[in-house]
Amino acid sequence: MKLRRTVAFSRRALLQFRHDRRTFAFVLIMPLLMILIFGYTFGGDVKGIAIEVVNNDTGILAGTSPVLPNGLLLTQKVTDNFDIDTFSMHKNTNSSNARQIVHDGKAWAAIIFPENLTENFLTTVMTKDMSHSPKIEIYIDASNPTIAAAVIKEVTQSIQITFKELSISLNISQIEMPIVIEQVYAYGGGSTRFIDYFAPGVISFAIMMVTTMITIILFVNERRNGTLQRLLVSPASESEIVVGYALAFAVIGIIQSIVVLIAAILLFDISIVGNIFLALIVLLLLAFGHQGLGILLSAGAKNELQAIQFIPLILFPSILLAGLFWPIESIPSYLQPLSFVIPLRYGIDAERSIMLRGWAIGEIWVDIIVLVLFALLTLSASILLLKRRN
Amino acid sequence: MTFEQTFDTPTKIVEIQRLRKTFGKFTAVDTLDLTIDKGEIYGLLGPNGSGKTTTIKLLCGLLRPNAGTIKILGQPLPCKSIMNQVGYMPQDTAIYLDNTVHENLFFFGGIYGMTKENLEKNEQNMLEFVNLQDWRGSLVSTLSGGMKHRLSLACALIHEPNLVFLDEPTVGVDPELRATFWGYFESLVKKGITVIITTHYMDEADHCSRVGLLRQGCLIADGRPRDLKKSVGVDSLEGAFLLLAGRKKP
Repeated sequence: MKLRRTVAFSRRALLQFRHDRRTFAFVLIMPLLMILIFGYTFGGDVKGIAIEVVNNDTGILAGTSPVLPNGLLLTQKVTDNFDIDTFSMHKNTNSSNARQIVHDGKAWAAIIFPENLTENFLTTVMTKDMSHSPKIEIYIDASNPTIAAAVIKEVTQSIQITFKELSISLNISQIEMPIVIEQVYAYGGGSTRFIDYFAPGVISFAIMMVTTMITIILFVNERRNGTLQRLLVSPASESEIVVGYALAFAVIGIIQSIVVLIAAILLFDISIVGNIFLALIVLLLLAFGHQGLGILLSAGAKNELQAIQFIPLILFPSILLAGLFWPIESIPSYLQPLSFVIPLRYGIDAERSIMLRGWAIGEIWVDIIVLVLFALLTLSASILLLKRRN
Repeated sequence: MTFEQTFDTPTKIVEIQRLRKTFGKFTAVDTLDLTIDKGEIYGLLGPNGSGKTTTIKLLCGLLRPNAGTIKILGQPLPCKSIMNQVGYMPQDTAIYLDNTVHENLFFFGGIYGMTKENLEKNEQNMLEFVNLQDWRGSLVSTLSGGMKHRLSLACALIHEPNLVFLDEPTVGVDPELRATFWGYFESLVKKGITVIITTHYMDEADHCSRVGLLRQGCLIADGRPRDLKKSVGVDSLEGAFLLLAGRKKP
């Protein structure tokens, strides 16, 4: 091996980078972007979970109990022990209304403190008769097992801490928890596995990635091979070209979605509570929007190699900020607003709502509207891009 | 092949007035005036970078001029409605490699609004014209370079245009196929089709009924090849170009 020749190869490759500043920037910026995004978003604790708290207890007034001369409102004690970062708490006076809010997907859980909670608690503690144990109801949306687990853990821990604090002032020991936590499921039934939660996200993600990349590569080839020029000289309008391709990909998207859904059902036994056709329509809307995005991005790539450089740009924000693997609530609060501009967020949200909560179009209309607008925006911009002449 | 001309086309197929196109500070086409009549085979000649392809792209509507006007088939550009009378063969073969010969011809015919019956008839004519009858079902990626060039020409002609733009159709083509191509172009002109062709092969231009010599975006001469050669007293267009380019520096 001749050192001189070997160095010549290295030198030529490095000089190429010098002339291709875009690739050079990609090589430097991409790992930096990855470490920043992963570092700030990966595996954080779930925070800011929206919950409703209903207190039906009047507590024990000061001077009415010899063991608690200062009185006690157990609800206050328990909620004071909630971690302020974990919950975004809203006080509600009506149990039915609080449950409805959870049912509508506006909060993840309603924690309902019953009437005579403090009194029954005190009776149980003093008599050591567990038959009087009061029940705190957690009405929970368990379609997201990570959030459901975080809610139950936080409530349980807060009750345990409260009980420990009171044990000292009441001078009691060797007694099991005198409060029962009753979990009532709005969605998920408590049997939701991580794969059930994960599958709708992965299906949406797969459709998004494949559609975007195929469109970029196809249009890069159209430009590079000169076929696009030929089409633009024909009587075909730019909108006919874009919509024509969109329809072709719609067919591919439908086949792709059906295959992925069937595989998920057969291999992983995932539960689909809602309408599977609505799930397909959402996937199609997601595909349409990303076709438009693919056409727009293709204008920035001269060949397939440059097209590949777009992958991380689409991939990482989608993985990290759209709620694919972990809930958006676990992303640092200052990064959470970014998730609103990621279309995949709405696709995943709609798919999960359909497949896990059984929601219909009436409940996911916001997601649908955003996806329709995204598709209209990107496809219209693609048409304008093709119309552009230097 | 048989072309049946059914359109009433104007006598002046292309009318260009004071056409100018710049890219930044670079002037690709500089104040070009030109008229091309029906049934001509007009050659735009010049070295690389002389503005031939830019001119063709302006005439096809792929580029917008900075100044001047273009009329194609009597209509000022931009005008999509006349494009079904125009055929265009870009420098690249510009056909779909992952489709068959038949699929390419049907696709390009289809976007010109041809009916299935017309497509079937014209496909047969085209395959015979470019001698690809035996390759109808073959994937384009499996064809030789020459076959791809012939298919590219067929795709530009499938819809029976009145005007055909051919941008350097003989670049990278072997001498035998180049001769065949010029045979094709001459047969098109005999059917009344106007052909505008760019080339930097000066020897080919003798096949043209008229040529325009371009240099640095300027039209330095325009006329029949025989007349151009005679005007400077040389036997070849190459010699004429060199002399004219020397005399008329832009």
